[in-house]
Amino acid sequence: MRISPKTVSSASIIIILFLVIFIGATTKMKTNSIRLPKTIDSWTRPDSPRIVTSQNIFDYMNGAGELYLGYRFDHLEVYEYTSSQEDDILVELYFMATSDDAFGLLSLDWGGERVTLSDSAQNVKSQAQSHWVRALYGEGLLRIWTDKLYARVMATRETPASKKAVLSFGKAITGDQKNLPEPGLLKALSSQMGSDWILRKDRMSFFRSYLVLNSIYYLSPQNILELDHSVEAVTAPYEKASEAGDAKRIQFLVVKYENPERARNALDHFHDAFLPEHKKDIQPDSTVENPSVFEVEEGWMGYKLKGKYLAIVFDCTDQELAQNIIHQNVSNLSKMEE
Amino acid sequence: MTKKKGALTRRDFIRGTIGATFGTSLVGLNWSKTKGAAAGSSLVTIVRDENAMDSSNKVNTDVLHKMLEQTLIKFTGEKTVKDAWLSLVKPSDTIGLVPTPHLNPTHDEVTDAVKSSLINSGIPEGNITNAQGRPEKPKACTALIALPALKAHWLTGLGTVMKIYILYSGNARQYHEQNNAKLGETWSLPFVKGKTKLVLVDALHPLCDKGPQVDPRYKWAYNGLIAGTDPVAVDTVCLKIIMNKREEMRGEPWPISPPPLCIEAADKEYGLGTSRMENIKVETYGWKEGLFL
Repeated sequence: MRISPKTVSSASIIIILFLVIFIGATTKMKTNSIRLPKTIDSWTRPDSPRIVTSQNIFDYMNGAGELYLGYRFDHLEVYEYTSSQEDDILVELYFMATSDDAFGLLSLDWGGERVTLSDSAQNVKSQAQSHWVRALYGEGLLRIWTDKLYARVMATRETPASKKAVLSFGKAITGDQKNLPEPGLLKALSSQMGSDWILRKDRMSFFRSYLVLNSIYYLSPQNILELDHSVEAVTAPYEKASEAGDAKRIQFLVVKYENPERARNALDHFHDAFLPEHKKDIQPDSTVENPSVFEVEEGWMGYKLKGKYLAIVFDCTDQELAQNIIHQNVSNLSKMEE
Repeated sequence: MTKKKGALTRRDFIRGTIGATFGTSLVGLNWSKTKGAAAGSSLVTIVRDENAMDSSNKVNTDVLHKMLEQTLIKFTGEKTVKDAWLSLVKPSDTIGLVPTPHLNPTHDEVTDAVKSSLINSGIPEGNITNAQGRPEKPKACTALIALPALKAHWLTGLGTVMKIYILYSGNARQYHEQNNAKLGETWSLPFVKGKTKLVLVDALHPLCDKGPQVDPRYKWAYNGLIAGTDPVAVDTVCLKIIMNKREEMRGEPWPISPPPLCIEAADKEYGLGTSRMENIKVETYGWKEGLFL
């Protein structure tokens, strides 16, 4: 069949029109999913945000980009609000693949003043029922976890006016967002061990990257637990107050892998790197009650494999404590799976 | 069972055996030629003035200039600022100033103060350049003055002196992961080695938590300039200040994580100076409150 130039031309126009509409819609969806006001008080933003993706994140923030890439990062929208009367306010909206990832970013620092931004009845109710705070403010910086979004709103200089504006930005950001629940893996950690050891929920973090783990609890500059975007991990210390006033701490870590085989391989790698002088005693069978425990430089540590979960405890004062903590938290995992 | 080569862990850090697991250079250097810690005592001066910044943390340049003058005279032992500079650099030198470019960057006022002080001491303005950035910049210089800002860093523990030349490697990201302990090798690059005539740390408004982005809750007005010619000694003093501030801030032990392995490695692996406080002579001048030493 012979195709006339006119047909080719018409087809080209249709294809171009389709691409313009499709790409335009995609771009619009990607850049305008949060509608921020053009002006808040004396601060005004430019018409469009700076878009930062995993390809150019290091141009925007250098090594800090590794943090966001350690989670399931989609893209970042940056608005710089300027004012003729006050210093600038920077608004950064981090669009993550899941709510867990947004939670994870906030969970790296639970310090600051707790603030409630959403007025919706549903969100107020869910906030009241949860231990986990959604927004934290301190000295000009507001950090937010809402839906799949993590946001930072920072006034270059904190003043009463800039604080009011920063909180107004927070309300604008959270306005139409849902309050999704915290990562389920957090429930694996008992809030207390016996009568002495209390979980420090204010030091509890969710992550997927060994770089992030190292910034919380240094384990190795290499990825000896084989963490990546496919895993979920939570770590937190348990603390026991002493009469002398110096608290003792142990660190608990639980990782959920994609499947039992990956968990087993990761534990193999971990043992080889971390405990090379100790006999490997990996028991994948969930009916085996006792975890493997080892005496190392900082006291006792232990691990236990439970299907696709790996639980590890560090810095225990004795063997029994290491076993008890792992046993209790692994029991929680079993209940979660039921 | 033997340990897999290169599997550095927390236990190595606790045992103090990080050197055994270092592995190969990222920039092709031969360690056997660079090893050997510096001997003797290293001098580090700290000059502080509580009026170096106002209540809005704006730098008072008059106060800053006086602090710089005092730093130069006290550190070198010379009688005038001009003599102090000329004991460190030559008028014929092409001098590169190397400030921290990002994340709590060096105050422009500090860089400007150093530049004007050099000019006033007889160094031609055309011989002074900002040498932060690509490797070509230090190659064009015969002398470097490192001007890092005092800060913790989420990938390297401390992001102050040893990290200041990271861009000279041509690939900064290679030091972000398991190789951050090797930052000392950036000081041993052929076009860098031996050129640093002074390390002057901007400790006016440090950042004591790792970030990775600035959180104003972790910045405080230290109002200081920290100087030395032993980069490892200066970083060791900086680390002590940051660690003590963190503990004071939380009221409980708050170790830097990851630990700044690059400082000890700079001493034990690269021989760039001393990381032992007992081998460092710290002289403090001016405001004494909250020294964190």
